[in-house]
Amino acid sequence: MEEESQRILKYLTEVELAAEDVLSDKQQIVDLDIKRNRNREALNALRDDSPQSEDKVKVCFGSMFIKLPKATTKQMIQKDQAQLDKEISDLRKRLKAKVNHLNDLQGKPELRGYSLSPLSSDEMKAINSILKR
Amino acid sequence: MAAQMATTKVPEVRDITRIERIGAHSHIRGLGLDDALEPRQVSQGMVGQLASRRAAGLILEMIKDGHIAGRAVLIAGQPGTGKTAIAMGIAQSLGPDTPFTALAGSEIFSLEMSKTEALSQAFRKAIGVRIKEETEIIEGEVVEIQIDRPATGTGAKVGKLTLKTTEMETIYDLGSKMIESLSKERVQAGDVITIDKATGKITKLGRSFTRARDYDAMGAQTQFVQCPEGELQKRKEVVHTVSLHEIDVINSRTQGFLALFSGDTGEIKSEVREQINAKVSEWREEGKAEIIPGVLFIDEVHMLDIECFSFLNRALESDLSPVLIMATNRGITRIRGTNYQSPHGIPIDMLDRLLIIATSPYTEKETRQILKIRCEEEDVELSEEAHTVLTRIGLETSLRYAIQLISTAGLVCRKRRGTEVQVEDIKRVYSLFLDESRSSTYMKEYQDSFLFNETQGTQMETS
Repeated sequence: MEEESQRILKYLTEVELAAEDVLSDKQQIVDLDIKRNRNREALNALRDDSPQSEDKVKVCFGSMFIKLPKATTKQMIQKDQAQLDKEISDLRKRLKAKVNHLNDLQGKPELRGYSLSPLSSDEMKAINSILKR
Repeated sequence: MAAQMATTKVPEVRDITRIERIGAHSHIRGLGLDDALEPRQVSQGMVGQLASRRAAGLILEMIKDGHIAGRAVLIAGQPGTGKTAIAMGIAQSLGPDTPFTALAGSEIFSLEMSKTEALSQAFRKAIGVRIKEETEIIEGEVVEIQIDRPATGTGAKVGKLTLKTTEMETIYDLGSKMIESLSKERVQAGDVITIDKATGKITKLGRSFTRARDYDAMGAQTQFVQCPEGELQKRKEVVHTVSLHEIDVINSRTQGFLALFSGDTGEIKSEVREQINAKVSEWREEGKAEIIPGVLFIDEVHMLDIECFSFLNRALESDLSPVLIMATNRGITRIRGTNYQSPHGIPIDMLDRLLIIATSPYTEKETRQILKIRCEEEDVELSEEAHTVLTRIGLETSLRYAIQLISTAGLVCRKRRGTEVQVEDIKRVYSLFLDESRSSTYMKEYQDSFLFNETQGTQMETS
């Protein structure tokens, strides 16, 4: 009996761990997306290149504002943005494997067609005419 | 005039959903097997035929695992022993994702299409292709839309759109094109929308629940949805399953997209099929598609002729081939299109490829069970004695005849305002409708008074 409950406990811990892993990844994607959107807003704000605007902007680093040239700031944010995009897509890729693992632990059937790579938009256009009926 | 015609025609549309007929095998829900593939005596509408059901269950498992693509199964047995029922059971237990195509052997003889064309269309209908669509979308609830019209009245409009999810909120700058499509969709604050990143297409999903009390009076079509969760910029993946035949049809150039609506696709060129095959296997190699070999069921397979069989022989060998299940009620008979006799009317070389499942006649107990299930299905209440009488009729004439009597007896019973079908009702319909053996005795007695009775003595041409 003791052994049985130990086994169940171990199994439940495993499932909980896997689920926690999935949830934390999801949260991380959300956090990164918040950052990405804020960067996007900043880039939009920097786009204003009317002659009367200053060519230096104040950028907030932690608890400090530093005046930086516009062009450098833009470059900096763009680099950050590319980095964020990459991180999010990496996370999504890993998340898939984790969700599969979780389903596996819970004894749920594997999602069908989950691991397929997507069709290109041209190919999808052709297929869409079948689907829209 | 034409418009007037259209308006006067509207009231003629009658509600026909209530007139729903009950099919002969509508009570079948599956094969009635337990997890160890052992058949239960009565389950999921199936009764008896334990051995054949177990065999069908094994084949089903193999189909599910994708093991026996390109092979064929024959269900053979006397009329009324549940061959079609077993095939229906297989179809039901395969689930909605595995394609199942059923056709009767005589269906392929059509003037518009050659026999082999009809067969290859059926083959390709039974093969599914699973593909995935992936789109980047922005999904959120509209908090605010702000559109600045230029003071001069002309020139590009600019604006800002604030979107939020439960976790975050952000502002998008809008160009004139986006403003146009937003106003075309009549998006306002409180709507939940998605924006396709690649095409910029805006879709309204509904209104947010939190804004449900903004107005008191709203159209019935207003749909309320939850404010989306998680990140704003999401990746949406949708998996579709289409059949090879459907892909053939849209690519068959002479027909174009119109073919989808008329339902009549005509013949599809073999070049088109080859192109599709090449494309699909290319997708499969790139990991873009999965092939799902489905099931093609041909009932009354003895109706096929020798050409069809030789076509089937070859088609089964192609790598894109479904599992073929055939059913026949013939013993040793002539192969259609030849003068040769062969078991089940199927050429020997074809028979050699088949796994054969035999069905045997039902016992009294099983007949009783089936009749009970059918009564429930047709909503007819049967008294105990009537049930016994009907079972006897089923054993002495045929199961089909007994099943026919259920609904007719039910009608007679309703006519006399009874609630339960009694023996008298059964007797009455038994005297009204002849079964096969009584009909033939009647024929023998009175054949002299029928028209064209000179064909007497020649046997009916059955093959």
